[in-house]
Amino acid sequence: MIKAEHIYKNFGNVQVLKDVSLEVKNSEVVVIIGPSGSGKSTFLRCINLLEKPAKGTVRIDEQEMTALRKSQIIKVREKVGMVFQHFHLFPHKTVLENLTYAPMKVKGLSREQAEERARKLLNQVGLSEKANQYPSKLSGGQKQRVAIARALAMEPEYMLFDEPTSALDPEMVKEVLEVIQSLAESGMTMIIVTHEMGFAKQVADKVVFMDDGRILETAAPDQFFSAPKTERAKEFLEKIL
Amino acid sequence: MNLIDGFRTIAPSIPYIINGIWVTLEIALFASIIGFVVGTILSLCKIGRNKLLNGFARGYTSIFRGTPLIMQLALAYFAIPQLLGINTVNAFIVAVITFGLNSGAYMSEIIRSGINAVDKGQFEAASALGVRYWPMMKDIILPQAIKNILPAMMNEFITLTKESAIVSTISVTDMMRRSQIVSAQYYTYFPPMFIAFILYWLVVMILTFLGGRLERRLARSD
Repeated sequence: MIKAEHIYKNFGNVQVLKDVSLEVKNSEVVVIIGPSGSGKSTFLRCINLLEKPAKGTVRIDEQEMTALRKSQIIKVREKVGMVFQHFHLFPHKTVLENLTYAPMKVKGLSREQAEERARKLLNQVGLSEKANQYPSKLSGGQKQRVAIARALAMEPEYMLFDEPTSALDPEMVKEVLEVIQSLAESGMTMIIVTHEMGFAKQVADKVVFMDDGRILETAAPDQFFSAPKTERAKEFLEKIL
Repeated sequence: MNLIDGFRTIAPSIPYIINGIWVTLEIALFASIIGFVVGTILSLCKIGRNKLLNGFARGYTSIFRGTPLIMQLALAYFAIPQLLGINTVNAFIVAVITFGLNSGAYMSEIIRSGINAVDKGQFEAASALGVRYWPMMKDIILPQAIKNILPAMMNEFITLTKESAIVSTISVTDMMRRSQIVSAQYYTYFPPMFIAFILYWLVVMILTFLGGRLERRLARSD
């Protein structure tokens, strides 16, 4: 379970998050949507404390992240995988090494164990034949699938997706969404920030609409997309659908 | 004719001068290894959040960049041993250490800029995976930083090779010093100094060429 309560965050004088609270139950898929600059990504990054909230608490299972010391935060992060808009694969490591590095370094797996797990995951995302390539040789969609596999290699209990398809060419969006979809079906607890409305409708158990640093609406996807309650959400949906 | 005679006269000593290049290159090589290690440590002190280490690294860089190298060398070879009451000092070792510490100051700035040039996402991706600070630096950040700054480090090595000529002032028999010795011995200056002069240039040209090739090879792997 992930539970964020009354999160505030500012960058200098700019208030980015104003009293944001969200609870995600196990095996739940929460999709956060909203206009650019609404604080979606910042909120996501507050959950694994890549950004430190100014106020508020984040709990992951029973651990209060916001109360932990830095070294303890790193420990909890092991169970929270994160996928970024711009992939951030390690360019000097091969695809396989990207997947084995953290499990070996952080979890102390042997090379054999880590590679076995990595190959299984590469197979799962359909990239077995790319194991020994460097990331620069991959397409955007392939990179993002490797990035997902890299996060999964740590066997996380939760996954955070920060606009996973926003940097991709249109024809590569589908292959990435399919991987995320199948992850959702496997029961992974996920928070996804995305602009893909069709995907949101399909995969979400709960849709969260954010604007101007606040959560304006939380609803089941059918309800949200057919009959949004707030004026702001209506406007937003009209513009993009 | 006079000039040719000059070269003829010092002919037996020409190999002596030329072999001085090994002393020069040894100093440059050892000093750059020390410089790299010192520079890496200092650069990590500079980018870290520890105020004490920040201050130390900044002070260190300020001192070594703010005084003439020849002065540092004199201090290390003549002044400090006297102060400590040490009578015999190995000039070569003093030269290597002084050059290494000096180069570390410059290298730290190069490495720092290299680390800063690494995409911030790399830090985030590593920490999101639960990788701790030191392994992240060692395995993820520094390899990428060093790849970016290899050309600059190659330049630093070339600079060291040239600048090492001032170790002649503390009686290390490098190529510069040898050309002076031979000059004094035969009381003829142009031929020995010209040989050393040309050889310095040749070595620097070769190193520049190698550096260029290295740079191109790295560019290709992107």
